[in-house]
Amino acid sequence: MDLIVSLTVNGLATGMLIFLLAAGLTLIFGLMSVLNFAHGGLFIWGAYAGVSIYAVTDSFLLAIILAIITGLVLGLITERLIIRPVYGNHIQQILITLGFMLVLQELIKVVFGPDQKAVYPPAWLEGSFQMGDVILIKYRLFIIAIGFLLFLIIFLILKKTRIGLIVRAGVMNREMVQTLGINIRFVFMAVFMVGAALAALSGVLHAPYSGVIYAEMGLEFSILAFIVVVIGGMGSFTGSLLAAILVGLAQAYMAYYVPALSLAVNMLIMTVVLIFRPQGLFKVKG
Amino acid sequence: MIGLILRSMTKSNLIYLGVAVILLILPFILTGRSVQFMITQIFIFAIFAMSYDLLLGYTGIISFGHAMFFGIGAYTTAIFMDRFDASIFALLVAILVAVLFAAVVSFIVGILTLRLKSHFYAMLTLAFAGLFLVAAEKWRSLTKGNDGFTFKIPEFLRDSTTLYIVSLVCLVLIFFGLRRLTNSPFGRVLVAIRENENRTESLGFKVLHYKVLVSVVSGVVASFAGVLYMLSLRFVNTSVFHTDVTIDVLLMTIIGGVGTLVGPILGAALIELAHHWISGLADVHWIFERWIILYGTVYILVVIFFPLGLVGTIRSKLSGRSKKQHTTKKAS
Repeated sequence: MDLIVSLTVNGLATGMLIFLLAAGLTLIFGLMSVLNFAHGGLFIWGAYAGVSIYAVTDSFLLAIILAIITGLVLGLITERLIIRPVYGNHIQQILITLGFMLVLQELIKVVFGPDQKAVYPPAWLEGSFQMGDVILIKYRLFIIAIGFLLFLIIFLILKKTRIGLIVRAGVMNREMVQTLGINIRFVFMAVFMVGAALAALSGVLHAPYSGVIYAEMGLEFSILAFIVVVIGGMGSFTGSLLAAILVGLAQAYMAYYVPALSLAVNMLIMTVVLIFRPQGLFKVKG
Repeated sequence: MIGLILRSMTKSNLIYLGVAVILLILPFILTGRSVQFMITQIFIFAIFAMSYDLLLGYTGIISFGHAMFFGIGAYTTAIFMDRFDASIFALLVAILVAVLFAAVVSFIVGILTLRLKSHFYAMLTLAFAGLFLVAAEKWRSLTKGNDGFTFKIPEFLRDSTTLYIVSLVCLVLIFFGLRRLTNSPFGRVLVAIRENENRTESLGFKVLHYKVLVSVVSGVVASFAGVLYMLSLRFVNTSVFHTDVTIDVLLMTIIGGVGTLVGPILGAALIELAHHWISGLADVHWIFERWIILYGTVYILVVIFFPLGLVGTIRSKLSGRSKKQHTTKKAS
């Protein structure tokens, strides 16, 4: 019992981190059909920016805030300098975002040094709760809580507000929204910045969870996010949450029972989805 | 027969053959081992880059895991040479296995994702290449992990001049073979798919068949480049599966000029020389150790400002000029 609980908590925590990364990807894709291969770069920049301020000030809250700001700024830069010039050309977009991903990854090594950095959770999140023989690690519960909270907030914004309405309408039919006099480019920029901020937040939350950060982590993690986006259905926000949890759980259980297959299991899920339901589990109507 | 050969001797073919002959004489003038080794590397990467051009340039498919096929060829050769005696027969079997393995993998990846939007192929190849990298790192009993291993190759290929000539002959054969392929009706359909997939489909071509077939051909050629790479290096480690390899080949194709076949060869020469030059500069300033930044920046700029690459830009300039002359003549 305690084993199942702790594996599930592990899986949920990993799933939430992937979700934060995938949420931005899937919204950006849905709205502008841009697949942002540089998303992992934003993740890793969030992690490094947050961790370095955390090391100086010892305040994890400040680290989270700085990571979000880094994400917003980098999101703005990426959208303006990298994606706008090749707007509308899929091949160029895919090529250029990967190039930017590499530049971001290598710049990390220039700015923060090429070595791995160890990170520990803040004191108020260290340790664990014990209930009977079940041990719950505080930091993992914290990640899960934040993930669900952000999901709820964004979900409500998408469903209940005017901005959300515009974004959802944009996902379904961009031209129509534009015809109605809405500056879809501005909406896209905003969504891109929020997506980038989510990625950066995911990065900084991931740092104490894995205990170590390194520059290549961005690409590794973004592969998981891509898998999630494919499984959940490109452009589907709810789909990305469920797919992320599925991938997180599958990975956690596999890592314990069949460690050799822990990466392959996600590929396997994706392969099955691609064969039987290529549009993803939750296709956006439109 | 002779008539056929003469007819195929267009001006550009003559130029290519001339360059090939010069390159064939070159190793007898430049006898230094390291120079020959470097040019051999250029030939090998040129083959690799041409296989990429077939996908990106001719069909408009983006692969972010082309290193996977290169690595398949490399590891198959290395493992065969290591496990069995370093004979010609073992090498031939290794080539056969490498080619078949690459064909099967590219077929599976292709059939899964090529019926969907181009993003899927890019993502899935990236993910698959990641899987192969992890497998190569973790399956230590077979691959010796990240440290890699050295191995022996057949006696006569150990000479750098021989290997140079073998690589050159392979490059020339594959170049003319791929040119034949892209100029054939099959190649025309590929270009049509790149230009407008829906229209090609409505014309009655089974687009998926063409795309899967071209991805298999590309995977096979890339795997063969991996085999040659191993013959020149005689050492393998997991770096053949790294994203850097894919980036290199992407850069070669894009800088040289997509959809030209000659472009990737030029691109391969440029990038290999740049590698050589920049690694020499690492002692001068530490920033040159982070050469990927430089590459990434050049790459982004090329994608934005020179989407046609070197050869493509020159060609469009030339044809633009001849068109202009044509119209002025008409006007006068």
